[in-house]
Amino acid sequence: METASNHIQTTFHSIGSSTDWIVMVVYFLAIMFFGSYFGKYNRSTKDFFFGGRRFAWWLIAFSIVATGVGSHSFVKYSAKGFQYGFSSTMTYINDWFFLPFFLFGWLPIIVYTKIRSIPEYFEKRFSPSARFLSTILLLLYMIGYIGIGFLTLGKAVLPMLPDSFSFLGMHFQITLMGAIIVIAIITGIYITFGGQTAVIFTDLLQGFILLFAGFLLFFLGLSYLGGFENFWHLLPTSWKLPLADLTKPPDFNFVGIFWQDGVAGSIGFLFMNMGLIMRFMATKSVDEGRKAATFNILFMLPLSAIVVGNAGWIGKAISVAHPDVVPPSTSPDQIFVVVANIVALPGVFGFIMAALTAALMSTVDTLINATAAIYINDIYRPIKEYFRKGKKEDSRKVKDKKELAAARWSSVAITALGVVSVLAFKGFPTVYEAHGYFHSTLTPPLVVAIFLGIFWKKFTPAAVITSFVGGVALMILGLHDPNLITPFAHGIKMNPEHPYSYIRALYNLIVCSSVAVLTTYTTNIQKQIVAKIKRKENHKQIIYALTGLAAVLFVLLVINVGSFAIQFIAIVVMVASVAIVTTYLVKYDEEKQTEGLTVWSLAKAKEMFKGGKINDAEGETIKVNWKLKEGDEYTANFSKNDMEKMKANVGDLVYICDARKYLGGLKSIHTVFGEPHEEDGVVYINNEELLNGVFIEGKILTAEKEM
Amino acid sequence: MPPISHTWLPFLYLYGVGGIFFLIGMIIIKKSNAIDLTKKRHRYWYRVLIFGYFYFVAFHAITTLIALYW
Repeated sequence: METASNHIQTTFHSIGSSTDWIVMVVYFLAIMFFGSYFGKYNRSTKDFFFGGRRFAWWLIAFSIVATGVGSHSFVKYSAKGFQYGFSSTMTYINDWFFLPFFLFGWLPIIVYTKIRSIPEYFEKRFSPSARFLSTILLLLYMIGYIGIGFLTLGKAVLPMLPDSFSFLGMHFQITLMGAIIVIAIITGIYITFGGQTAVIFTDLLQGFILLFAGFLLFFLGLSYLGGFENFWHLLPTSWKLPLADLTKPPDFNFVGIFWQDGVAGSIGFLFMNMGLIMRFMATKSVDEGRKAATFNILFMLPLSAIVVGNAGWIGKAISVAHPDVVPPSTSPDQIFVVVANIVALPGVFGFIMAALTAALMSTVDTLINATAAIYINDIYRPIKEYFRKGKKEDSRKVKDKKELAAARWSSVAITALGVVSVLAFKGFPTVYEAHGYFHSTLTPPLVVAIFLGIFWKKFTPAAVITSFVGGVALMILGLHDPNLITPFAHGIKMNPEHPYSYIRALYNLIVCSSVAVLTTYTTNIQKQIVAKIKRKENHKQIIYALTGLAAVLFVLLVINVGSFAIQFIAIVVMVASVAIVTTYLVKYDEEKQTEGLTVWSLAKAKEMFKGGKINDAEGETIKVNWKLKEGDEYTANFSKNDMEKMKANVGDLVYICDARKYLGGLKSIHTVFGEPHEEDGVVYINNEELLNGVFIEGKILTAEKEM
Repeated sequence: MPPISHTWLPFLYLYGVGGIFFLIGMIIIKKSNAIDLTKKRHRYWYRVLIFGYFYFVAFHAITTLIALYW
């Protein structure tokens, strides 16, 4: 233990014993082996990224626990629990407000439109240029998120490592960045060979282990303190309140965290976090996705809040009762490890640390997998398509093989970029503040664009691109001059070192929304200006000039040239130029481009998904044996009687699954009803469907009509 | 006793401002027919959504009272 004289925080090194390290290594090997086993279910990029849209809700709900706990992490919530008490839980219990938008808006849209990435949605709903800009913003968001994950992992492991070590006569100092690089290599190896199915199953196992480890730590802590009564009475009243003070202190106040996490974070998490979205897309149907999301928010998140924060609460109580054991000055980001080491026996401490670090790795894995999906869908494929013009297309199998290889290599590159992005966050006093600042700054433009895109039919391509460019420009203005945020700050005091880490989310959301709404409502004016420009002979030159002007002004703003007033005027000019250029360049048909892509036309999306009229008649789920049929026709043939029970017609969609419920849909397929036969209780499928479903001879299947 | 800015004000802000977002969401999904209340399954989800809101209101109200008076 050391307390630097120029710091007020006490930091720890070499916590834990060799038994703990052995337990950790064994745990990691077991988890990696478990994950690799499920790698065999990846037969294409669809499986690698989306797990083949086959799983039951409970499997996804529990697999999300590890992702949720990992991303919101033991380290950062224990830190805030230690500093401020039970209000560390508030970010876990503020996600319900946006659930109606998610369950009946975004979730059915992403499933029925078969969109594989958020930028793809932007292209279909708006234009290729909107896709390009959203890809850039989304990659920044995802890589930043990976960076936060690595930073947390590094901070979790560092207290267990010695200060330095010697190898072959050379002396090495152990640094945070050094630890992160080693962790990144291990994480990269695992995800590269696993894929989404592996991540889902590893997370499922880890979800249970994490809940167990978190509650185990809580009970051990309570027992160390002499029972719950002692623990409760050691804490001051303000520590027991579930919500933080409205505006105090700057590093942990309710209103700032509400806008940063409850609004920007919740929408970002549900609508933008490709890792989470891909989990919901892996459920067998929209209704199963709804169940998974609801169960997760109602039950798993409150439990997770206790699991991740309790080490901080126990640490606070110990620091009151035994300040010599846990000094009140202990570095908040180290409190989890310190408390776990004090209350748990050697070996048990190793197990808890293994569960923590493995969960963090799961989160990072999920994010790397999701970022690789964005790379393949929004960069690799469009570029391949561009260079392939006129050349013969590869067969589906060859194409899939190449894409799978590209996905794996991109995972490695993304891991490296994630490590580099840690540099942007390591200056913050705690991971919590780094994460808060990151959310406040990077999510608003995309959150506003996705949200208005889904729920507002009038929202135009010019408005979305202008809100990206103009919104980001106004956000940069707020970074240059934080006083601009003061009117939105609800009286929160500005910390000059990290001004308005959380409440800047409100400012950022307002400026992005304002630009979006203003541009949409001035569409007719933009059209009139564009019509005038088009009448001029040099209309192309005018558009080039406006584009150049907007680009120059943006660069000048980034490098902070000019006074506040000049910068503000430059932004107004930039916004107007971008709106006019986009209206000139983008051909947009509101009726056509919103069809199935907004909440107002979901029925159409469902029809597009099926490729025909929807059959909503409620039928039974039946049990059948499978038989192999010849040929490669992708249909499942049931008997007339069985189809009648399911209320199904030829051409309807069917979900066929191994009847063993505990498999959670791992062995299942989606296909189409073919012409019926007379053999009741039997379904005929082709060889490719058999391989996709990984069905076993003699095992009964269930079949249900989807739509 | 902690000040009201630490007890009931954040609670009212959370379920007041958050409640406005929630209400807008419920109105939009109903008006757009994304949730079709003629369908049994959708009626179930509609009730679940309303239940969830009050479930969390109750959760924070009870935990605040426990913190203050227990």
